[in-house]
Amino acid sequence: MKKLVSLLLAVLMLCTMAACSKGGEGGGTPTAGGTYDITVWVSEVAGIAELTKQQIDRFNEENEDLTFNATIEGISEADAATLMITDVESGADLYCFAQDQTARLVQAGALNVLGQAASEAVKARDDAGSVMAATFGDSLYAYPMTSDNGFFMYYDKSVISEDMIDDLATLVKACEDNNKFFSMNYSSAWYNSAWFFGTGCVSQWITDDTGAFTGVVDTYNSPEGMTALKGMQILAKSNAKNDSGSGEDFSKGSAVVVSGTWDVNTVQSILGDNMGVADLPSFTVDGNTYHMGSFSGGKLMGVKPQTDPEKAAALQRLALYLTDETCQLERFNSNGWGPSNVAAKASDDVQSNPVLAALGAQNNYATVQGQVNDGWWAKAGDLGHLAAQAESDEELQAGLALYEEQVKGLIGATGYVFVGAWNGWDNADLEGFGMEQDGNVLTITLDVPESDYMGGRIVPVTSWDTNLGCQQVTEGADLIVEYDEASNGDNNIIFLAPGNYTVTCDVSTSEIKIVKN
Amino acid sequence: MEKTNHSQQLNLFEDISDLQLLNLTKFQLFLYKLIHFFKGIPGLLVSLFKTIGKLLKGLFTWIGNDLADIVKTFKDGDFKTKLSYLIMGFGSLTRGQILRGLLFLIFEVVFIVYMITAGGHWLGKLGTLGTQLPGTVYDPKLDTYVRVDGDDSFKCLLYGVLTIMFILCFIYTWRMNVKQNKDAEELLRAGKKLKTAKDDVSSLLDDQFHKTLLALPLTGITLFTVFPILFMILVAFTNYDGAHDGYSNLFTWVGLENFNTLFSMNTSSGNMSFAFGEILSWTLIWAFFATFTNYFLGMFVAIMINKKGIKFKKLWRGILVLTSAVPQFISLLYVSKMFAANGMVNGLLINQGLISDLSHIIRFWEDKTLARIMVIVINIWIGIPYLMLITTGILMNIPADLYESARIDGANAVQQFFKITLPYMLFVTGPYLLTSFIGNINNFNVIFLLSGGGPNNIKLSTAAGTAGDTDLLVTWLFKITTNEGSKYYLASVIGIMIFVVVSTIALIVYNVIPSTRNEEDYS
Amino acid sequence: MNENKKHMGLKAKERLSNTVIYAILIVMSIVWLIPFVFLVFESFRVESTYQVGYVIPKQFGFDNYINLFTKTDFPIWFKNTLVIGLFVSVIQTVIVLCMSYTLSRLRFKGRKGLMNIMLVLGFFPGFLSLVILYKVLSWLNLTSANSVPGLILVYVASSGMGYYVSKGFFDTISRSLDEAARVDGATRFQVFTKVIMPLSKPIVIYTILTAFMGPWGDFMLAKYVSHATSAGMNVAVGLQTMISTPASLAANYTMFCAGGVVVAIPITILFMCLQKYYVEGVTGGAVKG
Repeated sequence: MKKLVSLLLAVLMLCTMAACSKGGEGGGTPTAGGTYDITVWVSEVAGIAELTKQQIDRFNEENEDLTFNATIEGISEADAATLMITDVESGADLYCFAQDQTARLVQAGALNVLGQAASEAVKARDDAGSVMAATFGDSLYAYPMTSDNGFFMYYDKSVISEDMIDDLATLVKACEDNNKFFSMNYSSAWYNSAWFFGTGCVSQWITDDTGAFTGVVDTYNSPEGMTALKGMQILAKSNAKNDSGSGEDFSKGSAVVVSGTWDVNTVQSILGDNMGVADLPSFTVDGNTYHMGSFSGGKLMGVKPQTDPEKAAALQRLALYLTDETCQLERFNSNGWGPSNVAAKASDDVQSNPVLAALGAQNNYATVQGQVNDGWWAKAGDLGHLAAQAESDEELQAGLALYEEQVKGLIGATGYVFVGAWNGWDNADLEGFGMEQDGNVLTITLDVPESDYMGGRIVPVTSWDTNLGCQQVTEGADLIVEYDEASNGDNNIIFLAPGNYTVTCDVSTSEIKIVKN
Repeated sequence: MEKTNHSQQLNLFEDISDLQLLNLTKFQLFLYKLIHFFKGIPGLLVSLFKTIGKLLKGLFTWIGNDLADIVKTFKDGDFKTKLSYLIMGFGSLTRGQILRGLLFLIFEVVFIVYMITAGGHWLGKLGTLGTQLPGTVYDPKLDTYVRVDGDDSFKCLLYGVLTIMFILCFIYTWRMNVKQNKDAEELLRAGKKLKTAKDDVSSLLDDQFHKTLLALPLTGITLFTVFPILFMILVAFTNYDGAHDGYSNLFTWVGLENFNTLFSMNTSSGNMSFAFGEILSWTLIWAFFATFTNYFLGMFVAIMINKKGIKFKKLWRGILVLTSAVPQFISLLYVSKMFAANGMVNGLLINQGLISDLSHIIRFWEDKTLARIMVIVINIWIGIPYLMLITTGILMNIPADLYESARIDGANAVQQFFKITLPYMLFVTGPYLLTSFIGNINNFNVIFLLSGGGPNNIKLSTAAGTAGDTDLLVTWLFKITTNEGSKYYLASVIGIMIFVVVSTIALIVYNVIPSTRNEEDYS
Repeated sequence: MNENKKHMGLKAKERLSNTVIYAILIVMSIVWLIPFVFLVFESFRVESTYQVGYVIPKQFGFDNYINLFTKTDFPIWFKNTLVIGLFVSVIQTVIVLCMSYTLSRLRFKGRKGLMNIMLVLGFFPGFLSLVILYKVLSWLNLTSANSVPGLILVYVASSGMGYYVSKGFFDTISRSLDEAARVDGATRFQVFTKVIMPLSKPIVIYTILTAFMGPWGDFMLAKYVSHATSAGMNVAVGLQTMISTPASLAANYTMFCAGGVVVAIPITILFMCLQKYYVEGVTGGAVKG
């Protein structure tokens, strides 16, 4: 007993002493030289760990003032994010993750904000989408590595001819007729979004600057959602279904596999010249045809917050180096990872790659993957099981209703948020502003920019539809558009002029007051 | 047969005299006890509260007496004893028991130093679990952001609890110190010699041998089993999760809120109580089938192999036992992949023409009933060898003359089994069945490696994560800690609920099956 | 029993029932062995690294084994597990024997209470402790690359809880032996070392064997403690990470099979050699738990 206490104590003292002495040295040379032992987590995909090792060695050679003794571990991006959140303290110093994990990681305090010069560099050299994915509020939290995290269709040319690849039902039929599988992981929310996004559903999560989720706009439970589920049943009710999505499925009787760039080597080795790639097909429900959508996104590299400023600065330099044009192109050449670096993207090799071309074609129908509440994946993934199991429209409807309730339930916190859309009411381009709550009174101060549609609404974080509405405005009604069936049927608060406004709302009486500052 | 007819006229719901009890068959006796256990529940509850009352009363009397004894020892004691109240071990040191005295003294010094340097600090933090959030500062020279450490709620809770344990430990040692002074004075007054250090050491190998033997195991259990359980029980009363991990964001006490969450019927956060009920009932169904299918089939196999005239007994046994040499991790994972929709089994069935085409492949893990049957069946595959060994041992111990006399009475093999083998087995293996049942309730490996809890069921998905049709409480608990915001607090609540369920079952069984209680019976 | 007096009809019946039993036993043996035969075949398959729908490889070769030992950290994982297994088997056996011997053969105040506490502790699911054990080890710097001593510590520390089988064994040794030795003036320590231990060979070997095998199969705790560091993994965690994602499953499946075979062989051999004791341990002790 006392042994452990004293042991723990000793360790603790050592740690604090170490932390103090290092903290004391802060403010050394701006070059941040020195030797550091670091842990780096990169993708487990074959070859990446070795490549990263070479790149770090080269960095050490090129920068004589700085030496990294890196322990490089190959683990999947999903595992890396989970491990970091479980224990930030002993997590890796440098790690890679899929962009939708950014919010979780920011919230868990696992990402160090980039310095000003570094931010500028990243913003200048990487594509806008990937920079967006790493940005919260005004800060950039991570270094874009790839812009290829999406899915498209691989097919076996010996079974599927090119005239079949535009229609889902045709493809499924062809698979059935030839005793082959159509492999798509439709019980994964990531993949089954293809049907929902295809019919125009959205699932958009709203976060505040700290990475906390403050609201959700999710229209899966709608007539479009029903259409999507019926479209999903074309596959899920077929005997050709295979609820899996990896390249190796071609060796086990699949003629079509929906997967991403990471599978290209596997598929190539199995199908050889018979490998075909294309964007996803369309599906037809009740006479209407919809092209399947998808998620698009990329991978990011993050640096763990450090208590030693020198080490933080040094890691910042290394991360910048590992995600620059050269390193991104090396990863493209070895593993086919599509770059996020604008210059690398424009290179001839990347431009002429058929797989990236298929991804590019599909990206025309893709939704940029924003921050997603981690719980959502399982809920929306279950809709795949629903489509496979449901026997009637009523069951589908009930499943969607339950889904909606549960998705709202994921926003555990209570509170209100002001959702604004300064550039036209586009569900994909909303901004959420958390409102400060003091008793029954909510307050928020907004900068409304000049634009076509300077509107927004006050909603509880759990329900998009409970709009407190512009009719409740008792003070400052002259600053906004009146309620009108035709021009403002949604009962939104639409400002007449740009500027800085303070909006207060008393929840008990639903009275809203607007003051222009 | 006469006996049976006679006892059937008895009403098992009525109290039965001892004489009549003797006439009951084993099964009727079991039934009788079961019925009377449930009949006795109200009485049991009353006596439970009475016992708790008695215990509390006893505790207070004990504390009172103890305090009185401490005061009395102080009053009656000489100056050595009196000083020992402040300086532990002083009495022993001055009376020549150097080793004991030194140990006491060192312990006191360590305790005081610890409390001043760290203990007090952590004790103070225990109430709030930390108030100072970690922060970030910008270093303009290096153009980088730097983390500034704050409180860590996890450490506050951990060291807080450790400190309390340490204090309790100190109080106990201090009390021992007082008692030893009293004993020493009495011995000296009676003109006897005090124990020397050598006596102390040699008694550790004789009278006090149990202390020597238990010291190491119990230290380990206290630190690595009791303490973590204690800690995680406390976590059930906090909001410790992925977003409040203590290091980046503080967590704090929330009282009984998490228990409310588990029992809430609120569907917007997923119907937690519904999911809990469903998973609990499958857990019990699973535990029942997993225990008894293994038990009876294992016994059946053992009887077959042990049958006279069957050759190569060692070979059969060897083949079965060999399979348990391969780590479960490999065998279960491999079997799980074998039965996948595109796995080896379906492939072979198609190749052999047993399945005409793809449309008829068997989706073993995608259907609720089929997946449930699969885990139970594969569990039989895993479990039979062990059960076969256990039952073999017991079968050999059944007195042969029992069978001999049964045979003379004209009983055939089946009758012998039900008249002799089964009752004997049930009696001897009662405790084993209980532990095995409890083990199956918490059988993580088989479920996790085979089905992963799937197929997922949308009705079981809650704020704490999605669960599947073959999920047990313990795999659900695990999923909660790894998925979706790592809600450790909910996992702790479910852990406590598992404890409640298991204890209830154990309580019932201990009251119904006599052989679970008396360990001396098998000596 | 007098064989000659039996009817011929009985003998025929006996033969029939024996035939049925042989048939059942043969079928069972096949069912029990099949997955392992499959596993071995797949580990020798060269033509593809992923799962296929047939058993016998089209092309045999040692590629998977060679890759396993040259391209992965498998030798490190194997060494880690072996070291853990050796340490744990020794220390755990000492602890379990101390615990079970004391509870079985010594009578002292609080013995019943202690056993009841152990029983109740066992009702808590072990998974609850994972997080806290991991955190404590990580502060003691016994995770990641140092997970071998960390895992040994945790396995050994809580091993006292598993005293049941061995206590069951000690319960079967007649108490008159102790009493006779005590009358002859032996201390309790001497009774333990000189009288009881020599009789306890089966249970000692059984305990060593099970303690040694435990770490080979442990997955969850080892996964937590290794914290994604390859140098600190045991075979189970290492092999699992090899097939943890669809892409890596496709690339490493046959190598995983080879790893399974390599792990299973030494343990199986050990098991075969010591099977006699294992059987005695289980049959002697387990039921009394």
